[in-house]
Amino acid sequence: MAGPAISRLTHRSHARHATHDPAWVQWTLTTVALLFLALFLFVPLAAVFTEAFRRGVEPYFAAFRNPDAISAIQLTLTTAAIAVPLNLVFGVAAAWAIAKFNFPGKSLLITLIDLPFAVSPVISGLIYVLMFGAQGWLGPWLADHDIKILFAVPGIVLATIFVTFPFVARELIPLMQAQGNDDEYAAITLGANAWQTFWRVTLPNIKWGLFYGVILCNARAMGEFGAVSVVSGHIRGLTNTMPLHIEILYNEYNFVAAFAVASLLALLALVTLALKTWIEWKHAATHGAEA
Amino acid sequence: MSVEVRNITKRFGSFVALDNVSLRINSGELVALLGPSGSGKTTLLRIIAGLEFPDPGSAQVLFYDDDVTHLPASQRKAGFAFQHYALFRHMTVFENVAFGLRVRPRDKRPAETEIRNRVEKLLRLVQLEPLGRRFPSQLSGGQRQRVALARALAVEPKVLLLDEPFGALDAQVRKELRRWLRRLHDEIHVTTLFVTHDQEEALEVADRVAIMREGRIEQIGTPEEIYEHPASPFILNFLGNVNLFQGRIHEGRVVIGGAEFQATNHVGAPNSGAVAYVRPHDIRLTREQTGQSSLAARILRVNAAGPVVQVELERLDDRSQFGVQLSREFSRQLNPQAGEQVFVELQNLRVFADDYSI
Repeated sequence: MAGPAISRLTHRSHARHATHDPAWVQWTLTTVALLFLALFLFVPLAAVFTEAFRRGVEPYFAAFRNPDAISAIQLTLTTAAIAVPLNLVFGVAAAWAIAKFNFPGKSLLITLIDLPFAVSPVISGLIYVLMFGAQGWLGPWLADHDIKILFAVPGIVLATIFVTFPFVARELIPLMQAQGNDDEYAAITLGANAWQTFWRVTLPNIKWGLFYGVILCNARAMGEFGAVSVVSGHIRGLTNTMPLHIEILYNEYNFVAAFAVASLLALLALVTLALKTWIEWKHAATHGAEA
Repeated sequence: MSVEVRNITKRFGSFVALDNVSLRINSGELVALLGPSGSGKTTLLRIIAGLEFPDPGSAQVLFYDDDVTHLPASQRKAGFAFQHYALFRHMTVFENVAFGLRVRPRDKRPAETEIRNRVEKLLRLVQLEPLGRRFPSQLSGGQRQRVALARALAVEPKVLLLDEPFGALDAQVRKELRRWLRRLHDEIHVTTLFVTHDQEEALEVADRVAIMREGRIEQIGTPEEIYEHPASPFILNFLGNVNLFQGRIHEGRVVIGGAEFQATNHVGAPNSGAVAYVRPHDIRLTREQTGQSSLAARILRVNAAGPVVQVELERLDDRSQFGVQLSREFSRQLNPQAGEQVFVELQNLRVFADDYSI
């Protein structure tokens, strides 16, 4: 361990380290970064909670007793409960296929996985309107069979799945590619079948990456506005998710209720951040020991 | 009782990785597959393990006379050790070794106490008994590879396949570990095939060595046979330093420059161009010319650091350079100096026709 000792020595002899900038540069950069963070992240976050509690605690909690608010929260939870597990399965399957096998069309598949990130959420919603709307390709057929997708829960779920599809896959592909196939090959030569290999070897190897992908996917599924706004139809008590409900309340100048519901989403973001940090710390702990 | 492959061909696109290879490993034998990278040795190993399948045709893989050509890897019972160990990082050493026993179908799975006994016995065998509760990340490279071997042995494999098992280790540990592997093999006698690109490792450890080149087995034999009777210039070159002398074959003797030498073996037509290959320790240096069988040369450099003294020389007639190894004792007597002129006698010439490609 000569490294730290040497750098301490050079500090003492006032020799400058190649990567050390002058103090004023360090301080300026740090201050700018912190000011930026404060202005664009902490102030809005604080504003959400200040506005929500502006008239005290009672009106804050009253906002959650409103039937429309309860219905919006329920719809958001339902949507996430369907979209996140599905995207977990799709994401693992896609990452598995891309990282472990070579097949024609692989690069096309990688591009397609990124598509929801590249396309504006509003466009994503409009695609569903084009497909399932009354004037859309499948609209008349759906109407004949009395199936409601657009302006109903199925449309909201579909739009959410589309928008949040990349999170799990994008998290897992580089991880699985870096890990290679040797662990799986070793398991197979030891007599494990495909199912045992997946559950006992592959899944434990990717669990932190997968967890990380899932919480990001969940955060986006609950917070998605654009695509859902297009397909929802904004029917109160039926097709309003939390973000849509907030918008309606805000437009009706019902600021306390709007910010109260918004504070719930903000809390979700904070929990997500905390979990993300915890996973990264945990991941570094297990992988740091390996290096 | 043996592990055998017959007529294995494998193409990746237009690249021929294996070209009609057949190989037999006798029961209890330790065979090395030696060759440069891209010669197909790892592909052959993976085909035997069932991780890769040969091109359809007359290819066959036989384990103790059972045809396993179409059997998946999980049912072949071939133990495999990887260059980078491939230990399961979330399991302890103990659980890694126990893995092959735990994934067995319920009716064939040993009881927990039986698993415990067998894993502990294996850990003793690889001298890692106290480390069962550690995780792979807490072990050194050499220890990890020993865990990987114990894990492969746990399923009582019919054949043990090692893919560059010591390739990721530093030179000192490599040497220790390959001697350890030899002793382990003498103890348990499991039929073993191991891949390496290190000729020293292959010659030291294996009962027999198969040298591969461009998807074919170029020669197979005991380390001594291969070293003493290399079948081609490629093998001569691959096994270590060798000097080339251009010459002609004339009445069973080789004519190089103005001198004539007895050839140990030769391939090719008489009175044709030939290349003589001479190992550095098969060249004698003298100060006086001894009749018809010596060449004049000038010493370029003398390096006495090491177990033998390395001398670099340049022929006076065609200025081609070559290297000689002298024992330290002989070097003290002769006391060669850079710049002086000496005569060299070649011994043990292995002569191949000039058109023989390397």
